[in-house]
Amino acid sequence: MRLADRSFDAIVIGGGHNGLVAACYLAKAGKRVILFEASDHLGGAVTTGEITPDYMISTASHLIEALPRRIEKELKLSRNGLRFAARNLPTIALSRDKRHLVLSSRRRDIAALREWNAHDAAALVEFSARLKAYAAALRPLLLGVPPSFTGPSSDAVTALRRLVWRMRRLGQPSFEDLLRVLPASIGDLVDATFETPLLRAAFAFEALRGTAEGPYSPGTAFNLIYRRALQLETRGTSLPRGGMGALVTALRHSAEGLGVAIRTGAAVRCIIVENNVAVGVETVAGEFLRAPAILSSVDPRATMLDLVGAANIDAGLAMRLAQTSRRGATAKLNLALDGLPTISGLAPAEYGARLLVVPSLGELDQAFASFKRGEVPAELGMEVTIPSVADTSLAPAGHHVMSVLIQHVPYEVAGGWTLQRDRLLDRVIETLARYAPDLRARIIAGEMLLAPDIEAKFGLAGGEWHCGEMRPDQLLMFRPTPELARYRTPLRGLYLCGAGSHPGGISGLAGQLAARTVLSEGGRA
Amino acid sequence: MTGGGDILAVDGAGPGEAEETLNFQMQPEFEEPQATADAGPFSTASDEPPFSRRVLTTPLHLSVAMESITNRWTDWNGYTTPEILTTLDDEYRALRHAAALADISPLVKYRIGGRDAAIYLDRLVTDNAMRLSVDEVMPVVFCEDRGFVVGDGHLFRLGEDEYRLVTDELHLAWLLDSALGFDVSVEDVSVALAGLSLQGPHAAAILNATGFFEVETLRPYAARWFDIVGMPVYASRTGATGELGFELWLDPEDAPMLWTRLIDKGAEFGIAATGYALRELARIEAGIPRAGRDYLGAFSAVDAADASTPFELGLASLVDLENGHFTGRDALRRLKQQDPRHLVVSLALDFPEPVQFCAVERQGEIDGTATSVVFSPALGINLALVRLKYRPAPVALSVGVDLREGLSVRRLKIPARLLTEPVIGSPLRHAVPAPLLAEY
Repeated sequence: MRLADRSFDAIVIGGGHNGLVAACYLAKAGKRVILFEASDHLGGAVTTGEITPDYMISTASHLIEALPRRIEKELKLSRNGLRFAARNLPTIALSRDKRHLVLSSRRRDIAALREWNAHDAAALVEFSARLKAYAAALRPLLLGVPPSFTGPSSDAVTALRRLVWRMRRLGQPSFEDLLRVLPASIGDLVDATFETPLLRAAFAFEALRGTAEGPYSPGTAFNLIYRRALQLETRGTSLPRGGMGALVTALRHSAEGLGVAIRTGAAVRCIIVENNVAVGVETVAGEFLRAPAILSSVDPRATMLDLVGAANIDAGLAMRLAQTSRRGATAKLNLALDGLPTISGLAPAEYGARLLVVPSLGELDQAFASFKRGEVPAELGMEVTIPSVADTSLAPAGHHVMSVLIQHVPYEVAGGWTLQRDRLLDRVIETLARYAPDLRARIIAGEMLLAPDIEAKFGLAGGEWHCGEMRPDQLLMFRPTPELARYRTPLRGLYLCGAGSHPGGISGLAGQLAARTVLSEGGRA
Repeated sequence: MTGGGDILAVDGAGPGEAEETLNFQMQPEFEEPQATADAGPFSTASDEPPFSRRVLTTPLHLSVAMESITNRWTDWNGYTTPEILTTLDDEYRALRHAAALADISPLVKYRIGGRDAAIYLDRLVTDNAMRLSVDEVMPVVFCEDRGFVVGDGHLFRLGEDEYRLVTDELHLAWLLDSALGFDVSVEDVSVALAGLSLQGPHAAAILNATGFFEVETLRPYAARWFDIVGMPVYASRTGATGELGFELWLDPEDAPMLWTRLIDKGAEFGIAATGYALRELARIEAGIPRAGRDYLGAFSAVDAADASTPFELGLASLVDLENGHFTGRDALRRLKQQDPRHLVVSLALDFPEPVQFCAVERQGEIDGTATSVVFSPALGINLALVRLKYRPAPVALSVGVDLREGLSVRRLKIPARLLTEPVIGSPLRHAVPAPLLAEY
């Protein structure tokens, strides 16, 4: 069947999780939707791949932390095959002296911490509560279309006033404290809160993961609050059975069940603009397709500058988009192992947890300095999961796969990655071997994705995972730029629905909110 | 002759600057860098460190100074420029009845070239730049995203992919910002290009006598290359005086020779060298607001209330909302539906001697600001460009004037009237062919 023979109400560009979520919600509302994906598989960086035959792993991102329960339910993901190998994964900060620390405010874990450091045990309870309260106050802002500064209803002021009011309810000292925390660095915050170096470093790493910031960069404390607020919508960190690709497969089944036409291997060359209205798309293959609504889950910068073209938007907007920051700082290492590495001091039940390998706060700051200089950091902060512990389908019996996110790895490195790649790999394995001495011997195969690889493989500019860094000046009503923050664009009929839009992260919320925006306007017509 | 040979390129001016800076420092100070024939036209500029001089002189400085009997100079874009060379009355008479020659080299000139030059400019300016043909000129205004005017000027199309933008103020940063995503090069060629303006009823005749053959066939806003005794000169039928007139663009090295030639050949036609005061007077008579004086560019205005839209400047005719996107179009579409906040308009004050005033009043309340005030010798009244608060209904305006008589002062309230069209506009402006002397 030729495309031109069918007509569609909406075209979704890009088959990442947000694109799929947007397509599903539109289709659910009875719209005829077609989705174009440039590569031959859906999901983008949310995908499962093979390290070597029989060893499967989430190629890039490896945990679901922010997918709202509501989206899961409304799109019937469970009925469409989404199963969880593990939910509510604990987070454990590994310690070199084998006294690993479970980062939770559960009574048992606090009791364990109290034996170690009574002050920190109390501080952790208080800190967790505070973080939760701030996150709860921020939450309503994340679940809706970001407020706007312009237009007749300048509701940003109202929204911020409401936020202040919610904060005020936390009580006077808390409110003052919040005003101080918002622009603060996570380093200063944890220094003032905890005594145990490991606890400080672990929380600092939590705030820095995926960002191109150091522990003492201003605004990093807000990262932690924002991330926690996104996590409120779901039931803890979870591990989908079959890797992250399973989420996309479920979304795909859901979309197809709702009648969405999905075209993979069909890259969009440009969005056709006629007199300030986006009327359709042209694919690289030369096909034309028109629809009253076009949603792009591609990076907003690429959408507006490459697909729409600078000639069709204002120069100031083009500049602001070009200036949005995309510094890839996270590399990924996937390992196939012929057995479970022994991490001394870790209980057998804890191998399936989210493991943080963090250097001290000072070393983390040094790592950021190295990152800025374009060098391989001496000490690396990492997030490690061994998903095969909970999900035996990923590797042959008795064998395992390990997924490592490596923080503060620059896009470009002095001497070039061809020379430095093995050095980084060595340093990663060496660091991990401090905790799991038999790791090196157990490696069968592995793949390492550096920022340039992530850029090439998933089309993420600068190897930055979020289509625009998630930092305070690029979140909420500033994501991706103030005039594009409400999913609408200056071009009628064109909407943004990807991770580069509010609220970001693997939440699908951008897709859902964009679809809601489209439906509220009834498309162009 | 055609525009193929580009005399304006400044490609050689950039490299080796650091090295030459060093050389300059080793030279004894009294040794003035001089533009000699073998040093090339840009040696003066490249022999010294960039921005080392705040006071600049145009390539025509010595030629113009020869004509001065007043020694009254002023500053125009950092260039030493004659305020009045003889007397303003004589210069004005030349403009309206013979021909006024002026050095307009201080204008800012940008060369815009490259494969995407046409679509780049179409996105830059509010009008449809795609319809500009080679050897044509159009007045343009360009806005930022909110629809506020960044600047205005004239756009020349020199070749298929080559344009020149002539403006009153510097705009390189905005031009480069706007170039994102386009295959264009934007360079400031102000130093590499001299400009002369010849305005007045005899302008065509003088040019004709100087060797600009058939210059009278140029339509308004058309331009063409001429060869004047071996000097390539690009002549355009433009000028901000409301008069028949031409502007001549050429290599700075050749400019003094052309100046001398024009003075020689024009003598019998009554040519007069004129200064900046006349340029301002003619501009205000023609009702043309000047950037930086009568309105603030969007990036100069600290408060958005001080910036202006094209509609507020009376430049609505330069805004084409229908054909193609340009920066600020969405905003201007919205703004067009609304009343303007203020208007820049011409005001006439029927008072027979020059007065100075700032505030324009309406029923005793200040309702606007006069940004340029002149006394028009031809009409015997004061003219001003004013920025008035917008009123849907016409209102009676007046200005307060302090009049000095000897040692005493009288405070007068003088009624003022709004002008809907320029008070002076020679019919010769539009005549094609432009009249030569015999027909005048």
